[in-house]
Amino acid sequence: MDNINRRKFIGTAALAGIGLAGASAIISGCKKAPDNKELGLPPVLRGAPKGKKLRAALIGAGARGTGAAINFISSGPDLEIIALADVFQDKIDACRERFASFNLPIPEENCFTGFDGYKKAMAIPDVDVVILATPPQFRPDHFLEAVLKGKHAFLEKPLAVDPVGIRSIITSAKKAESVGLNVVTGTQRRHQEDYIETYKKVAAGAIGTITSAKAFWNQDHVWFREREPGWDDMTYMIRNWNNFCWLCGDHILDTHVHNIDVINWFLGKVPEKAIGYGGRARRVTGDQYDFFSIDFDYGNGISSHSMCRQIDSCANVTGEIIMGTEGYTNCQNTIWDLKGNVIWQFEYPKDENGNPMNQTVIPPYVQEHMHLVYAIRTGEYVNEAEQTALSTLTAIMGRTAAYTGRAITWDEIYKSDMDLGPAKLEFGKVDMAFPTPVPGTPVITTVKPAFNGQII
Amino acid sequence: MIFHKNRQKASVGRRTKVWFFISGLVVFALLIIPYRFLMKTTSTDRFCMICHVHPHADQSWKLSTHHNNSSGTIVHCVQCHLPPEGEGYFFAKARTGLKDLYGYLFKDTAEIDWGKKKLLENAKKLVYENSCTECHENLFPLTLSVNGGNAHLLYTTSKEPVSCLNCHLNVGHYDKNAALHAHDSSFGVTVTSTEPPFAEPAKVTGFNNFTEMIPGTRVSFNMIALPGGTFNMGSPDDEPLRDPDEGPVRKVTLSPFWIAETEVTWDEYMAFFRATSSQGRTEGQVVTTQKTDAISGATPPWGAPDQGWGKGSRPAITMSWHAASVYCQWLSQVTGKKYRLPTEAEWEFACRGGTETPYFFEGDPKKYTSEGFLKRLIKPDTANIASRVVYSVNSASKTEEPSFVLPNPFGLKNMSGNVAEFCLDFYSPDFYTADSTRVDPRGPLKGQEHVIRGGSFKSDAKDVRSAARDFTKTKAWLVTDPQMPKSIWWYSDCIDVGFRVVCEIDTTAGKTDTR
Repeated sequence: MDNINRRKFIGTAALAGIGLAGASAIISGCKKAPDNKELGLPPVLRGAPKGKKLRAALIGAGARGTGAAINFISSGPDLEIIALADVFQDKIDACRERFASFNLPIPEENCFTGFDGYKKAMAIPDVDVVILATPPQFRPDHFLEAVLKGKHAFLEKPLAVDPVGIRSIITSAKKAESVGLNVVTGTQRRHQEDYIETYKKVAAGAIGTITSAKAFWNQDHVWFREREPGWDDMTYMIRNWNNFCWLCGDHILDTHVHNIDVINWFLGKVPEKAIGYGGRARRVTGDQYDFFSIDFDYGNGISSHSMCRQIDSCANVTGEIIMGTEGYTNCQNTIWDLKGNVIWQFEYPKDENGNPMNQTVIPPYVQEHMHLVYAIRTGEYVNEAEQTALSTLTAIMGRTAAYTGRAITWDEIYKSDMDLGPAKLEFGKVDMAFPTPVPGTPVITTVKPAFNGQII
Repeated sequence: MIFHKNRQKASVGRRTKVWFFISGLVVFALLIIPYRFLMKTTSTDRFCMICHVHPHADQSWKLSTHHNNSSGTIVHCVQCHLPPEGEGYFFAKARTGLKDLYGYLFKDTAEIDWGKKKLLENAKKLVYENSCTECHENLFPLTLSVNGGNAHLLYTTSKEPVSCLNCHLNVGHYDKNAALHAHDSSFGVTVTSTEPPFAEPAKVTGFNNFTEMIPGTRVSFNMIALPGGTFNMGSPDDEPLRDPDEGPVRKVTLSPFWIAETEVTWDEYMAFFRATSSQGRTEGQVVTTQKTDAISGATPPWGAPDQGWGKGSRPAITMSWHAASVYCQWLSQVTGKKYRLPTEAEWEFACRGGTETPYFFEGDPKKYTSEGFLKRLIKPDTANIASRVVYSVNSASKTEEPSFVLPNPFGLKNMSGNVAEFCLDFYSPDFYTADSTRVDPRGPLKGQEHVIRGGSFKSDAKDVRSAARDFTKTKAWLVTDPQMPKSIWWYSDCIDVGFRVVCEIDTTAGKTDTR
């Protein structure tokens, strides 16, 4: 059922892409030039343009990776996935099976397992684009390799788990720019037409001067894996990566980074300082928190209250609110005046019954890839890595504030030597302890202490 | 017919325009060609070398990466030493030309201190930042290392001014002593002495001079007993070239203390480093408030803190005030005595050596100073000061060994000059007015920066006066440290600060025997 739906979707999206690309070209020819570019906004596309065939390698073939790969091929004509890399064979098998079911087989000789599989996949000369969708711990190394091998890249968010990784991403982003490699990231709200239109209104002064913000990603508990017999430490942690900070960066990065990124985008800057708290109440495995509440100080009295939680049966909702001197917005589709009257709303497309839908025609996950392909094929250069790295670093600053209880400044976190990964990436026993961080500890150690018990 | 006429008219008009254009071009060419020619010929390396009669500049340039590189590109004198065209090029060219012409006609090139011009602050005046970035447009080439990436991110994001030269000082003129820009993890690891190390520290039986011996090493140093007494601290209003923070003069009485004959040497400091150096930066942060038996000392430095000048008996430099203070704790621990940094009053008392004049020797700051236009023409007789103080005029832009100078009346060397010395006290410009303590004053209770005294090899004669005050500048001295938290052990951007120790009389023992 799932397969059929996806296949159908690909067909429709491709058709829609071809049809709408032509239509939108005619329409945009009549209207005055869109100002997206001047505002630093991505183009809102109905499909990626035609052009030279682009072949992609997927690095990290889990659920999101496979999804991203499908988003890529459905974003326009002549797009292929020709190589896979993952640390686990079963992930590769599942992904290959999925693509085989679309009649888009991925050759077995182009599929690589192990920690260095990504290097082998990126060494294939035919690969033009890489889709990096592993846990964020590995992103900096993968991105650097992609840039050195001359590949355009799609980077799933978040981009790293620590400042050392963030600086690596930014440096690689600048290297990519210097050799003309396009980079798009998975902060999809920036590619959503409703957010983009709301941004334009706010930028034009619809809510006056921005005075404060709120960002929230409060949801039920997320997936976790308990250790199975026969799994060594490394296998277990990567199977359960979403629950270990050195792999995931905690959920303030994993999911809340979307909201944080929107606030940075609308405010046009990154915060100067973070103070906050968090804790672990109901998590079963790993070393992460399940709630955070952070005050991000953007200077001049402007702050953003950022909160995220992964606990069931709570007041759970996600989104953003930005207050201005003349009104406020949810950043997504609506602007209110200070009395609460709706003064503008994004017009969603209508369904077959003429009722407005609650989302854009092209899913933002596909829109991102359209943008990447568009950039490669038209030469309209794009590189979103630094912007997303800075939003990821904002989340890291918040996380560190909560873990330590200290006020963390931007300068401090930008230059921090915090490096959460193990010295060596290999399967087997891992000599690291995973104490849950306790605020008030004078110094956050950057080197994990040795540990002999079993990692849970 | 009409049509034809029009065409004729048009062709006449066009012809006139063409003539105008051609004659304009000729005039332009007549003006511009000699101008371009002049500009071109006066901007060649050969032209520069006509006046610049210092062949090592030519040689070191040819050995540098701007000449000797795999790409075959040669970067010429004017490409670094003049700004890019359109950014003040002609003005700078004219000014530099006049300056060089003046130097050529009126100066003895043998007397010019070329080494001094290589100091960072001087080099910044001779090289244009925009000229660096004019050629080096891409700060993030694919081959850039992780450290390079961090440094260039610092450069592009820092709110403090960071110059290319902060890290790339020797790219235009090769320097074989140049410090490598790398984490020097082997710093101080090798010990060369073959003699047996001292088993015991010095035993002190009375209030006399003694030679301290650091147990477990071959390192020793002399401590001079100063009997204390009353002296006038600060400079009188009529002292030439004084600063307001040096007054008012006040009578201060000091208890007896020992003070080291010389500034702490690299040999002494390395003994501390070897015994206590810590690998992780976090360990260092914890030590500040700890009073445990095991003192955790400095982390390995970035680059070469001795600047390639050599260690031995040269004063140790670039350590932070905190590091100097931990050194004293450690020295106290291994010798069983009470070592610490001198208070500002103790320092000035020791420096004056009983004198009340601007210097501990004869001389007028006004005559010795090199500041001011006239001083460029008339060179003062500096023999007296130069025999006692390592300062801007007689230094080779670096520290000197203690044997370079004569001692002051108390037998102390390099109190003035060589390296500026940390004091125990916080700095406050109006402290002399604010404080009423007259016996063993200890400086303000709170503060941000500490007093440094004595001036350094970089200082003008004015700043090596006995009363001249200065203070640490923590932020500026750590600008290019790309780490956060920044090192608490080493200053990345200050090369002329060090310290000397004093030893207190242990009154708790009820006698002068400090053991």
